[in-house]
Amino acid sequence: MLEPVKYVGGVYKHNHLLELVEDLGGYILQKNVMQTEVVLLMLVPINDMPIVEAKARELLGKLTRAPLTGTEIATVAPTLAYHHLPHLDCDVAEFLRQHGAKTNMVGLARGVGKRICQITAFERDLINEHDLAVFILGNYEHCIIEKSKRLYEGIEIPIVVTGAPELKTEDVPNATAYVGSFGRILHQMRHAEELRTLDKLAVVIGKVLDDVRKELAKDPPSVAPPRIKKEIEEQVQEIIDSLHPLPITLQMNGARVKLPYEEYHEQIENIKFVEGVTMKEVARVLPSKMRNFILIKALPKSETGFVI
Amino acid sequence: MEQLETFVVESPDIVGAKTTKVLIQDTLADLSLTRVIGRLKVFVDPVQPVFIFTALLRLGTPAVKLKDFANIDMGTLGKDEVKIELQREAFTVKLLNKLWEKYGKENIEQPDKKIIIVKTDPIKELDILREFVIEEPQQEVLDRLIDAVALRIIPEGFRVRKHELSTSHVLFVASEDTLKPEWIAKAKDMLESLRSEENA
Repeated sequence: MLEPVKYVGGVYKHNHLLELVEDLGGYILQKNVMQTEVVLLMLVPINDMPIVEAKARELLGKLTRAPLTGTEIATVAPTLAYHHLPHLDCDVAEFLRQHGAKTNMVGLARGVGKRICQITAFERDLINEHDLAVFILGNYEHCIIEKSKRLYEGIEIPIVVTGAPELKTEDVPNATAYVGSFGRILHQMRHAEELRTLDKLAVVIGKVLDDVRKELAKDPPSVAPPRIKKEIEEQVQEIIDSLHPLPITLQMNGARVKLPYEEYHEQIENIKFVEGVTMKEVARVLPSKMRNFILIKALPKSETGFVI
Repeated sequence: MEQLETFVVESPDIVGAKTTKVLIQDTLADLSLTRVIGRLKVFVDPVQPVFIFTALLRLGTPAVKLKDFANIDMGTLGKDEVKIELQREAFTVKLLNKLWEKYGKENIEQPDKKIIIVKTDPIKELDILREFVIEEPQQEVLDRLIDAVALRIIPEGFRVRKHELSTSHVLFVASEDTLKPEWIAKAKDMLESLRSEENA
């Protein structure tokens, strides 16, 4: 069992921590160096947490649990107009990012209105590539309920909806969870009360994702996503030169690789694991709807019969 | 007179009304319009659906014309030119830009700090130049107001709209469906009640 954690500390000697986590069999998912500070997102074996905590203390850094680590979340706004951007959508996206998720912002082309709102097939497929979608809606109860009846058509991933009124999740059709006290906010969310609302959203999303993890654990993926990431980094040299943020983005049962599909899919399909299997035996390598990236979905144990 | 003496958002949806009020405050502050609006009344009913925005305006100074800060005269005898003698230099940059745009750079000369010569037919152009508008603070404010109301405050899905805009008031009725006459009548009533408050 791996524990998702975030480390914030000085650059000096932080490689000691990196090496420790790797030696313990954990994974470094992301490393951001900002001048003299470094932020690490890691997966650490839960039994070895005390050792890592001791090391973090020694380096005078801070270690916190980041439950959203290793997930890719879509924050969806009905459109890309002043009504939603920049404040609320960016605040939500940035806040979830701080909790370890990789967030992508999606603006729908025709998502406006309660009667006239639509979602296109492309948008639906793009959103379905994520682990979870956060729909950021507006101020009025009636509009949120009416809109929810039709807007999420065909979306198969869990849907978290935000809005101003305090509604029960059961009242919002098709939603997995609902978080109130948001609404259409045209200023940066920085007051204590607003930050608490964002915290609440992170907790709710954490819970929804935990449920998904439980579901996944019943039929686990044949290969763990961090393992996919590690093997690609070691066997596909070009990924090092990729300038995209997070060239390999982890998802709960796969990964998004930011390399052109046409050129690299065969190379990735033929990646060899030390256990003697290749990538195409344990995962599906698919073209992603996002640019021409590659989407890897691990096959469940029930299909392959083994877990590596 | 005080700013925003009346600021009411009415709606059957109480939470929605509260957030809409904050939203309007934010937008007006963002576009520095709080000093422009004297009284403001909004009605929203998401079920119908309708959004009515009425406000009384207090616009600042009227447009600045060339004659307000300069003497405009014939130039040298026998030449086709107009001489502008500036009394205040505050608007020189704007004035030059506007003149360049209208007459072309080659027809404008500035032999002295406060004198501008425009090479054009003085008989035809003299009066036009006197009334030449250099700055329109009111128009600028109204543009910002339209930006605030039409593009930021009214819910995006409300694409069917009717508006009235003058230097004294603004009225917007918006909906997702065809506008009903009673909504427009209600908007007019709201504006009337604002006016009667103003005169009381």
